[in-house]
Amino acid sequence: MRWCLALLLCCLLAAVNALSSSGSRLLVVQEDSTEKSLYSKLWADLESRGYDLTFESPKSDKLALFEHGERVYDHLLILPPKAKGLGPSLTPKHILDFLQKDGNILLALSGKSATSSAISSLLIELDIHLSTDRSAVAVDHFNYDTISAAEKHDVLLLQRPGSLRPDVKAFFDATPPLLAPILRAPVTAYGYNPKEEIPSAEDIQATGSQLSLVSALQARNSARFTVLGSAEALEDQWFSASVKAPGGKKTSTVNQEFAKQLTAWTFKETGVLKVGKIQHHLATEHAERNPKIYRVKNETVFEIEVSEYAYDKYVPFEVPAGDELQLEFTMLSPFHRLALQPVRRTETSTVYGAQFVTPDQHGIFSFRVNYKRPFLTNIEEKHEVTVRHFAHDEYTRSWAISGGWVWIAGLWSVIGGFLAFVVVWLYSAPSSAANAIKKTQ
Amino acid sequence: MAQSSLDALLKGSSGRNTRGLLRILILCTIAAAAVSSRLFSVIRFESIIHEFDPWFNFRATKYLVQNGFYSFWDWFDDRTWHPLGRVTGGTLYPGLMVTSGVIYHILRFLTIPVDIRNVCVLLAPGFSGLTALAMYLLTGEMAPSPSAGLLAAAFIGIVPGYISRSVAGSYDNEAIAIFLLVFTFFLWIKAIKNGSIMWGALTALFYGYMVSAWGGYVFITNLIPLHVFVLLCMGRYSSRMYISYTTWYALGTLGSMQIPFVGFLPIRNSDHMSALGVFGLIQLVAFADFIRSFLPGKQFQKLLTYMVFLTFGLAFTGLIALSATGVIAPWSGRFYSLWDTNYAKIHIPIIASVSEHQPTAWPAFFFDLNFLIWLFPAGVFVCFQKLKDEHVFVVIYSVLASYFAGVMVRLMLTLTPIVCVAAALALSCILDNFLVMSTPKGAAQAKANGNESKSLRSGRNPLVGIYSYFSKAVVTGSVTIYLLMFVAHCTWVTSNAYSSPSVVLASRLPDGSQFIIDDYREAYYWLRQNTPDNAKIMSWWDYGYQIGGMADRPTLVDNNTWNNTHIATVGKAMSSREEVSYPILRQHDVDYVLVVFGGLLGYSGDDLNKFLWMVRISEGIWPDEVSERAFFTARGEYRVDDQATPTMRNSLMYKLSYHNYQSLFPPGQAMDRVRGSKLPTETPQLNTLEEAFTSENWIIRIYKVKDLDNFGRDHSNAVAFDKGLKKKRAAKKRGPPILRTE
Repeated sequence: MRWCLALLLCCLLAAVNALSSSGSRLLVVQEDSTEKSLYSKLWADLESRGYDLTFESPKSDKLALFEHGERVYDHLLILPPKAKGLGPSLTPKHILDFLQKDGNILLALSGKSATSSAISSLLIELDIHLSTDRSAVAVDHFNYDTISAAEKHDVLLLQRPGSLRPDVKAFFDATPPLLAPILRAPVTAYGYNPKEEIPSAEDIQATGSQLSLVSALQARNSARFTVLGSAEALEDQWFSASVKAPGGKKTSTVNQEFAKQLTAWTFKETGVLKVGKIQHHLATEHAERNPKIYRVKNETVFEIEVSEYAYDKYVPFEVPAGDELQLEFTMLSPFHRLALQPVRRTETSTVYGAQFVTPDQHGIFSFRVNYKRPFLTNIEEKHEVTVRHFAHDEYTRSWAISGGWVWIAGLWSVIGGFLAFVVVWLYSAPSSAANAIKKTQ
Repeated sequence: MAQSSLDALLKGSSGRNTRGLLRILILCTIAAAAVSSRLFSVIRFESIIHEFDPWFNFRATKYLVQNGFYSFWDWFDDRTWHPLGRVTGGTLYPGLMVTSGVIYHILRFLTIPVDIRNVCVLLAPGFSGLTALAMYLLTGEMAPSPSAGLLAAAFIGIVPGYISRSVAGSYDNEAIAIFLLVFTFFLWIKAIKNGSIMWGALTALFYGYMVSAWGGYVFITNLIPLHVFVLLCMGRYSSRMYISYTTWYALGTLGSMQIPFVGFLPIRNSDHMSALGVFGLIQLVAFADFIRSFLPGKQFQKLLTYMVFLTFGLAFTGLIALSATGVIAPWSGRFYSLWDTNYAKIHIPIIASVSEHQPTAWPAFFFDLNFLIWLFPAGVFVCFQKLKDEHVFVVIYSVLASYFAGVMVRLMLTLTPIVCVAAALALSCILDNFLVMSTPKGAAQAKANGNESKSLRSGRNPLVGIYSYFSKAVVTGSVTIYLLMFVAHCTWVTSNAYSSPSVVLASRLPDGSQFIIDDYREAYYWLRQNTPDNAKIMSWWDYGYQIGGMADRPTLVDNNTWNNTHIATVGKAMSSREEVSYPILRQHDVDYVLVVFGGLLGYSGDDLNKFLWMVRISEGIWPDEVSERAFFTARGEYRVDDQATPTMRNSLMYKLSYHNYQSLFPPGQAMDRVRGSKLPTETPQLNTLEEAFTSENWIIRIYKVKDLDNFGRDHSNAVAFDKGLKKKRAAKKRGPPILRTE
C-alpha cells in the first residue's frame, strides 16, 4: 500500500514537475560560485522549464553522482573548470557510468582556459578529438564579430544550423554512428592557439567544417552527451548581444534560443521516441495476440506503436519524408525487410504496421525494429517467435491433389482386383466330388 | 519316502509340470538377477538419468507425457539448434518415449503415483528382464534341450556387454532395442520353421516396433534377407521360407514406413536394398520352382541359366542407374566407416570424433564377454554340426556381428546376444553330455552279460571316457567354476565400470572414502536459476542434451549431430580469435558460453582435449580461416604452456579455459594437471566475454557474452579504459615546421 502511494506520489511529482521525459534533477558543476551570475538567464530559462537545479563545485566533498548505485541526478551540466581536472567524484569513469545509467550530460568547454586532461581523455573514449593543443581556439577571418573581436577574430558568427541529412529531423533549425555534429564551423575557420608565438598555417589540425563546435553523442542506451565548444555562448552577454559580421549588418544573436534547443535536446525534452504496444498475430479475425509460435506460410500482422516526446507531451511520431521505419523478420539474416506503414493514429502515438507471409523455413525468428537516427533516441525491438513446420494433419489430403489421382486409382484397382479374384476363386472352387475322386486315385 | 515323493514329482506328466514350473521359477530368478544387477548405479549414486543421449530421451518423454502423443508427433523443438530449431517429432525414433509414456499412463491408471523420471530410469533394467526371456525362447529354438535356453537367458541377463547400455538410468534406445532385436529374431526363426503367416506377421510387427525404437534396425533389415539368401544358395528353398519372408517383408516395410524419421528410406536407401533384392529374388525362385514342375529337366536348366543372367543384368544396371540419378540415396558415411575404419577419420571428422565409433580394442572383448568369448566359436561349431535353417541363422549372425563389433565399439552390443546363444549352445552341449548321458544301453547290456557270465575283469568295459563319474565331476566342476567366475567378473565390471552416470563423477579420497564431484549439475542448476528462460547457451555439442535436459536452456548444437555446418560454426567460434568469434556469437544470439575444463582436477574428458576435433570439423567447412596446423608448434606438439602457438593462445577456447586460472596458484606455478604442463604467468586477456560462473572444481566454466559497448568503442578499448589505461592519442606529435625553399 505504501508502495502504491509512493508510486502515485512519484507519478504526481513527475506530472507536475518534469518537462523532460527522463526526470528533472539537474546538477550544474561549476567551480566558481561567483560565476553563477554570468549565466543567470540560462538558469532562469531552465528553471522555468521545470528543472531542479543543484549547483556544486567539483571540489566539493558532497558531490556524488551515485548513491547506493543509483543516479542522484538525471542530468549533468558541466561548465569548464579552471583546475586541471574535475575532481575525484567526476572522473571519466564516473561520467561514463553516469551515461551508462541513462543520465544525460551537457559539457561546455571554453577557449579561455586549457582543457583538462581528464576531459580530453573522456572525450577520446567517446571518439571526440580535441585539438592537440590544449588551449587552441577556433578563429575565422571572414565570419568574425567586428564589434567584440575586431583584432582576435575568435568570436564566430554562424548561421543557425540546418538539418544534417535531408531525411533527419531538424531539431536545431530555425539546428559517426553515435556521434553527430550539431554545429560545424564555417568553411573558413581553423584551430589556432593564440599563445603560440608564430602562427603557422601548416600546423593546423582541422579546418572548416571538419571542426565541430557543438557535437552530440547518443549512446546505445540513448543517454545523451553534448559537447559545447564554447561555454561563453551560454553567457548572458551573448544571449542578447548585437554583432556585426565584416561587411555585414548589425544583428542581434539568437544564442538564447539556441541554448534552449540545445539543453532541451540534451536533457531529453525533444527527440525522444517511445515504443508503446507491440502486437503481432495471424491475419485472421479474433486471432490470438502475440502468440509464441507461428507456422510456415502463415499470413502475419505486426504492429508497433511509436510516440515522440515534444517538450512537454507525447505526440504521434511521424517518420520524416524520405525515411522509413522498417521491420525485419530475421533468422541469422533477414527473410523479410518491410517498410512499416502508419495504420492509425491515437492522441499520443502512431501505430505502424505491416502484413506479410512467414517464410517457408522453420526456425526461431525474430521481429526486429531497429531504428537509429541522429538526434532521435534509438528504437531497438526484438521479439522472438518460433516458426514451426506443417503438422501431420495440416497437409493437403491426398484426394485433393489432382496429381495423386493416378496413384489412388492404382491402389484401389489393386484392392478391387484382389477382392474380385478372391470371389472368383472361391466361386470356381472344384466340387467336393472331384476331390473325393482325386483322393481315391 | 522322500525318494518316492521326489519320483512322483519328477516322473510322468506331473514331472513335466514340475519341470515347467521349475523353468518358470528359474527364468523369473534370472530376470530378477538381471534387473537387480543393473541397480548398482541407483544405489551408488541416485535415481538419475545418465550420460548424454538419455537426457534428450528423458526430455522428449516428459514432453510426450505432458502434451500428448499428437503434439509429440508434431513437435517442433525451438530450444535446440538455435536458431534453426529441430523438427524433433519427425527426426527421432519414438519407440522408447512412447513405451515409457504408455507404462507411465498404465501405472497412473492403476493409481500408482510414479514419477516419469523413475519410469525412465528403471526402463532399461525392466526390459533386460524381458530380454532374458526372449533369449530363452530364441535359444530354445536352436537346441532341443531347455538347458541351453536357460543358460543363454542367464548369460544375457548379466553379461557386461549388454549391461554397459542398460544400467538403471541409461535411458537410451538400446534399452528396449536389444529386447526387440532378440525377440524379432525369435519370431523370425519361429516363422521360418513353421512357414506360418501368423509368425511372419508377428515378426513384422515386432520389426516395426524395433524400427520405431532404434536406428540399429538396419541390422535386422539386412540379416534376415541375408539368411534367406544363404538358404537359397544352399538350395533350401521351401514354401515355408517364401511365406515367412514375403509376409515379413511386405508387412514389415509398410510398418517401418509409418515412422516419420524412416519414411521412404526402405525403398530409397541403399542400406535397405538387400531386403528388396531378396524379395525380388525369392519371387523368381518361386516362379522357377513353379515352372520346374511343368518342364523337363534339360529345358529347365537352360531356361534357368538365361533367366539368372537376365535378371542379374537387369537388376544390376537398374541399381546403378537409380543410384547414379540419385533416386536411391548413396551409402551413408556411417556405413562406409563400417568397412574402412579410416574413412571417417579422413572424410567425416564428426563421426570419428565420437568415442564409441572407434574400433574396438581386443581386451574389450574379454572385458565385456568374459569366458563367453571363447565358448562362442565352439557354439558356432555346434551349429555347423546340426546346420538346420535356424543354425544357419546363428552362423551368419555370428560372422557379421563379430566383424562389426571389431570395427565399432558400440556394435559390441549387437554381438552380445549371439555370443550368449552360441556359448549357451556349446555349454549345454557339454553339460548335457556329461551330466545327463547315462552309460549307453549296449555297454550296459555287455556289462550285464559279463556279470552273468562272470568273465575276466579285463574283459569288462572299463568305466573311462565321458561315462565315468570322474570325468563328469571334472568337467561339471570346471564349468561350475567358470560360471562362478563369470558371475563374479560380471558383478565386478558392472559395479566398477558401467554404473557411473558420468553426470556425477566419483573419485576416492586418500583414505578410501568416496568423493562425489558434482560440478556438472551444480553448473546446470546455476544456469537454470540465474539466467533468463531463453538465454542461449553455446557449448560444444557433447553437452547440448544435458543443458537442454538439466538446465532447460536453448542450445546451439547438441548430440543429435544432424547439421555439421552448425557444429562447425560453434567450432569456429571456439577456435578463432575473439574478434572473429564475437560477431558469430552475436549473430547466433548467444548469451552464455559454457566450457568444460579439467585442468584443476585432472579430468581428462575436457574441452581442450576435444579441441582438435572442433578445429578439424570447422576446418572442414572453412579451410581458409581455420587451420589445424596452426595449433601445433613447429615440432608438431599440441601444447598449452608458454610454448603454445599464438593461434592456440588467442583462441577463444584457450582463453575461456585458462581465464583467471593463474590466480589460483602462487605466481609462476600454475599447472594444468590434465596436460601436465606449466602455464604462462599472465592470464589470458578476455575482452568480449566476462566470467559468470565457475563450478567448485572448475570443471564447468560459464561466461557471459558482453553486449556491444554502450559508447561504440572496441571491447578491448573499453576493457583497457575500465582497467585505468589511457587511450593513446591517435595523432602523432609532428616536428617543428620547416620552411620549404625551392
